[in-house]
Amino acid sequence: MSLAFDRPILELKDVSFSYLRDKKIIDNISFSVGNGEFIGLLGANGSGKSTMLKLSSGILRPSTGEIKLWDKDVLSYPNKDRAKLLCYLPQLLDINVPFKVKELVGMGLYPYDIPPHITVDEALEAVGLSEKPDSYITNLSSGERRRVFIAMTLVQGAGILLLDEPFANLDIRYQIELLKLLKELKDKKGIAIIMALHDINIALKFEKVMLIKEGRILGTGSPDAILTREMLKDAFDVGIEVVRREYGEAYISYENNF
Amino acid sequence: MSKIKITVLMLVAIIIFLSALFIGPRIINPFRMGDMEKEILFSIRFPRVVVAILVGMALGASGAILQGVLRNPLADPYILGISSGASLSAAFALLSGIYSFGRFTIPLTAFLGASAVSVLVGVFGWRRGGLWPERLLLAGVGLSFLFHSVLMLLMSISTDEGLRRAVLWIFGDLSMADWSLIPYGLVFIVSGLIISVSRSKALNALILGDEFAHSLGFSIHKERFMLFISMALMTGASVSLGGTIGFIGLLIPHIMRFVAGADSRVLIPLSAIGGGAFLCLADLIGKSIMTPMEIPSGIITAIIGSPYFLYLLRRKDVLSI
Repeated sequence: MSLAFDRPILELKDVSFSYLRDKKIIDNISFSVGNGEFIGLLGANGSGKSTMLKLSSGILRPSTGEIKLWDKDVLSYPNKDRAKLLCYLPQLLDINVPFKVKELVGMGLYPYDIPPHITVDEALEAVGLSEKPDSYITNLSSGERRRVFIAMTLVQGAGILLLDEPFANLDIRYQIELLKLLKELKDKKGIAIIMALHDINIALKFEKVMLIKEGRILGTGSPDAILTREMLKDAFDVGIEVVRREYGEAYISYENNF
Repeated sequence: MSKIKITVLMLVAIIIFLSALFIGPRIINPFRMGDMEKEILFSIRFPRVVVAILVGMALGASGAILQGVLRNPLADPYILGISSGASLSAAFALLSGIYSFGRFTIPLTAFLGASAVSVLVGVFGWRRGGLWPERLLLAGVGLSFLFHSVLMLLMSISTDEGLRRAVLWIFGDLSMADWSLIPYGLVFIVSGLIISVSRSKALNALILGDEFAHSLGFSIHKERFMLFISMALMTGASVSLGGTIGFIGLLIPHIMRFVAGADSRVLIPLSAIGGGAFLCLADLIGKSIMTPMEIPSGIITAIIGSPYFLYLLRRKDVLSI
């Protein structure tokens, strides 16, 4: 017997998408996401990572195929109901409005009539910005800005987070802290997190990675199984290799071609 | 801190409203009013102050909405060509001497012009099931140029008296204000304010971008459409009541952001109050400094507004949407 929590919470079936009729940006992909899954989407620029996230969030409508959120077409949900289940954080945080940090984080409560589980203060604490609730977003560094928006997604409290390059503009310390924070969310609250990445070193920390090329999935599985020399060559068209040390640490080695 | 600022602002607004009632070419003592003073107060000054408040409120709130919807700090209610369309149709009525609807003729033609242009801008800004900010802006700027040129053509071939009246109207003349038009203006402006305040959370989300607004549970095209309607209602009503009065829609939202922050839930009502107070003050100055001559309020708002705007421009933390 299949229990409710064994079923995929997000499912893409034979999904294709194109802005123009002749060029497919997403080409017949299918995959599913279960509760608490932590998936990194990896691929070259223009491979379709962001488009996949936008399709999954219902911002874009697939040309063919269907996208199901909790067994129901993602486009059929009332907007507020969908926002309680799924949250999308875009890559570009181009905000030149002097909103205060707490105002922005509080926007995560907009889909709710009754405030849910996590408060603005708790979310700010979680991302290390508890000292700056009254700061203006326009005065923060790009890394701090990104953490403000992560706090907003925490307040929104959806079970699925779709994050487009959340590590962009973060220095290594905050990359590690954000990764830890997201893994905690996954472990403690069972939140499924799918994020587009460009850093293979970060992808190595994921339980599951999906390698994408020209809108198609080259492979999905553990980093060991997917991030092989051949697959990486196919996806990025450069010679790179994941080197593992004896005590488990791994890093990327480039071919000496520059 | 911002609560103190808001309280001070409200007090200043009340003082300006009261001053506009009792100060003018003839100073009225509210505690010792004769029949003449009562007549001046209730038939001339009161409606004029109410019109100034309504027009200023509409322009201030519309500016806050439009700067957010278009994500452009230089947007004001006139950037979409609504005022140019209203000016053109009102000028046509003034210059051609058509007065089929009596004193309602000019406001009515202005409102019809504003409504027609709002629809036209909406049609040009519409694509793939929704309004797009860039298309709205470009359509508005294009239509403004067109209407402005036709207006100039009309004025260049008109008689001197018609021309003077048209110029006065175009620069925002509140001297003709009376009670008869106020109920109509009130309905449109209050409706626009209610719609926009009820959509202020969506406006906050739209300022962050369409993807954020979608993720936060808003239907981006529906919300943008409703905000556009609210802005068009208020701008159309304000132009028909008071002519085209510049700078309030551009400047007041920026000042209010400085006073109380960028949250549209506070910014829209405060911009309305600030706009109303500022136009009352400009009208008070316009009718008092060169009596018996009156300077149109639109000229005063621009003369006060431009230097202050340039001052704000130097404070880059303030001048953003």
